[in-house]
Amino acid sequence: MLKLSHVMSENSIQQIRNFSIIAHIDHGKSTLADRLLEFTGTISKREMKDQVLDTMDLERERGITIKAQAIRMEYKGYTLNLIDTPGHVDFSYEVSRSLAACEGALLLVDASQGIEAQTLANYNLALNHHLKIIPIINKIDLPGADVQRAKEELMHTLGFAENEILLASAKEGLGIAEILEAVIERVPPPAGEAAKPLQALIFDSHFDIFRGVIVYIRIVNGALRKGDQIIFLGTGKEFEALEIGTLNLDLIPRDSLSTGEVGYLIANIKNIADAHVGDTLTTLKNGSTTPLPGYKKIKPMVYCGFYPINGEEYELLKEALEKLQLNDAALFFEPETSTALGFGFRCGFLGLLHLEITQQRLTREFNLGLIATTPNVIYQINLANKKTMMIDNPTKFPDFSQIESIAEPYFKVSIFTPAEYVGAIMTLATEKRGIYVNTEYIDQQRAMITYEMPLSEVIIEFHDLLKSVSRGYASMDYEPIGYRVSDLVRLDIVINHEPVDALSFIVHRDRAHYFGKKMCERLVEEIPMQMFTIPIQAAIGGKIIARETIKAKRKDVLSKCYGGDVTRKKKLLEKQKEGKKKMKLIGKVEIPQEAFLAVLRINQ
Amino acid sequence: MNAPSICGLYIHLPFCKQKCNYCDFVSYAGKEELIDEYVDSLIAELQTLRTTFDTQLATIFFGGGTPTLLKPLHFEKILNAIRAKYNENWAAVAEISVEANPGTVNTKNLRTLRKLGINRISLGAQTFNNHHLKTLGRIHNAKQIRQAMEAARIAGFNNINLDLIFALPGQTLDEWKADLKQALALKPEHLSLYNLQIEEGTKFQVQRAKLPPLPTNETEAQMYAYAMKTLKAAGYHHYEISNFAKSGFECQHNITYWKNGNYLGVGAAASSHVSGNRFDNPRTIEEYLKWVKADGVKEKSEYLSRKNQPNQGETIFMGLRLLAGLEKEKFAGCEEAIKELTALGLLKQPSRRIKLTRKGLFLANEVFRRFV
Repeated sequence: MLKLSHVMSENSIQQIRNFSIIAHIDHGKSTLADRLLEFTGTISKREMKDQVLDTMDLERERGITIKAQAIRMEYKGYTLNLIDTPGHVDFSYEVSRSLAACEGALLLVDASQGIEAQTLANYNLALNHHLKIIPIINKIDLPGADVQRAKEELMHTLGFAENEILLASAKEGLGIAEILEAVIERVPPPAGEAAKPLQALIFDSHFDIFRGVIVYIRIVNGALRKGDQIIFLGTGKEFEALEIGTLNLDLIPRDSLSTGEVGYLIANIKNIADAHVGDTLTTLKNGSTTPLPGYKKIKPMVYCGFYPINGEEYELLKEALEKLQLNDAALFFEPETSTALGFGFRCGFLGLLHLEITQQRLTREFNLGLIATTPNVIYQINLANKKTMMIDNPTKFPDFSQIESIAEPYFKVSIFTPAEYVGAIMTLATEKRGIYVNTEYIDQQRAMITYEMPLSEVIIEFHDLLKSVSRGYASMDYEPIGYRVSDLVRLDIVINHEPVDALSFIVHRDRAHYFGKKMCERLVEEIPMQMFTIPIQAAIGGKIIARETIKAKRKDVLSKCYGGDVTRKKKLLEKQKEGKKKMKLIGKVEIPQEAFLAVLRINQ
Repeated sequence: MNAPSICGLYIHLPFCKQKCNYCDFVSYAGKEELIDEYVDSLIAELQTLRTTFDTQLATIFFGGGTPTLLKPLHFEKILNAIRAKYNENWAAVAEISVEANPGTVNTKNLRTLRKLGINRISLGAQTFNNHHLKTLGRIHNAKQIRQAMEAARIAGFNNINLDLIFALPGQTLDEWKADLKQALALKPEHLSLYNLQIEEGTKFQVQRAKLPPLPTNETEAQMYAYAMKTLKAAGYHHYEISNFAKSGFECQHNITYWKNGNYLGVGAAASSHVSGNRFDNPRTIEEYLKWVKADGVKEKSEYLSRKNQPNQGETIFMGLRLLAGLEKEKFAGCEEAIKELTALGLLKQPSRRIKLTRKGLFLANEVFRRFV
């Protein structure tokens, strides 16, 4: 009996293919996923809302997949599990966990864009996971398509053979059958052993208000049965597998999941932090003692303060953050207090995009009036007494006289660009304190420039400026390379003679004057005129280094208002009144939300 | 039937030769062929309203658009209909105003209008600077303003308003002073001075980046202050934020608006306010014609006949526009706001009335926003 079931699972494992799609942003990943679902009949055309896999509105709007998901397709007797990966560099750890659940990857390249920074980054990631990579040139139907060039790049840069490369237009449904054939033929079946103790990789998780945390797993070795007592090896938390099953368009319950399969687990898990992405799940009895490799606790890289405009919304903000955290294990927050803004939260993010998305979700989904303070990195403060402290908020810096040195996180930034923009990009990177490493030419037209840059410079408008100096053509990828000592100072902003701690930020000493001046100019534009004159100053250690003035408002009156205007003008006044409510009163100055992120737009 | 009393009647005539660059009013160029049908619809609307509102009108105002694009015959038809249906005693109508574009009037047509009983004319002069007139997209020039004024006098009008706009793109304080000087030289009985506002959907808004820079907030304030000083010296009474008149020539029709009183509006996009009910007619000419045909006016009458109270916020922000202010009783429940605004120097209460201070006249929106 035992033997028989063993044979059955051995048979079926040969019919399983687990794969991802990897691509640079906008190269058509989600559209291809849609076509695969359609072609395999997993979903009918009618059911197909565009891009089924991206479920959050924000994702659709910004064209980025934020959270990975998976879906099971049946095709020609094979089970194909497509595991979607997040498409942004902020979420590279999540990408790596998704890839760890696969044996193969479709590497998608836009026929008109060719290889870009994230194509390379994702390719390397897939290679590190020993995945079988299937190169596909997508969007071959578009007028700007240069299939030959894209082919040559794939061959010369990434070493593919010409006959390996598939051509497709996901949008038009071209080449889909060939892609599915290649997945079946080229991607190896899962290599796990059914007889071994259970090891299942958590590659994603999701909080459902009715069912608790839904854990997405890949069975690497052994099998998971409904009712098993289970343990997460990383967190040590124990649960009962109340429901397990496969990830079709809906969740389909099953009695067991065997080696190589991809599915879900519901175990009355209330807190998403108990089911970390990358953690290993095993049975309590006769389970495995070795976790699968690659697990790490995600650490936020970028911090900022979130404060309610209306102090009474503090509790609502807290609840909203808790709710977001249910589905976002990478989101960190703890209460903090600002002299200027009152009670709020210091929040940690994987990157600036993660920050912006969180901020927008709080505003849109929870309708909160929110102030986000200038983002910053974690600084390592080396004190004169030889102690070291890590600081995630400029206002928490110790007195500068006690500081021997300050170290900040550095990143290796790889910039992929058409050759003609190399000069402009090098100028920009140097302005941003980048240390030049090298330039590699992929071919005559394209180069990869590598810099070592402080993360603080990368998060502040670097990406926008990079796009602007390269007319949108350059792309980038970055990875941490450790802390380095820099000559940094804290720039404080004083509005109407009151220091606004929420606007303080850390800047290199050589650039402090420039930033101080720009910051004051920016704030003059961001803060509307009020009924009195408002001086705006920038200071370092109490010494004023720049000053601007917002003149008192002298005239503000609806000039023309007759019988036909009453409703409209009243609406206008109401709108202005609402706008005022969205401003934060500091001292007696009303400051709009945008002003708190002024430093992010210092050069605009 | 105990019908509410109506003080004013507004008649909207949304036809223009061309749309001005700053204009966000409901007006259309190139639709003159619809005028006859439109006038018939106006009369139909007036007649239907009459069955509900059994009342004598105190003021009538023809606004636009450019009302003077209509022929005197059109005015005659409308006024005859009103006379037949509303006012047995024409003398009870104290004020019949018409807006006119200086490029569209002459002694002959003005004389006809005067004979029909129209006794007040409001000329859209806007500025005497030909360069600025062009920027505004006006069809007339400074000379035509003087000619129109002269024609109106000859035609027998002794109650004339000039509309001026200040804070125009690129306008200097000196240019504004010159505008006022030229306006005063024509000795109008009434002056309306509007600070240009770039409204959404206007050509100005679209072209904003290409326009010469607008005067600063500081300059706008200086322009307004200069006008207040100059007009006072010239014997004009500053009775509303943007309006100045020789004694006895304040616009009665508009005062009804500011007092949040009852008025009927007929024609496309016209607004009515009766017993606290506000009703806006369909906005486009075509929609309006269809609506009248489909008996929409009946619903309007019913809607306006509901027993309601004027909205307090509207009563306050409209009422405070009058320099005489409004009765303290109207502010019931707003004591806190009054205290704060008084402390800020924006409101004053010299008697039983609450009014804007001089500072409040410049920053009235700070006050208004507290009451909406």
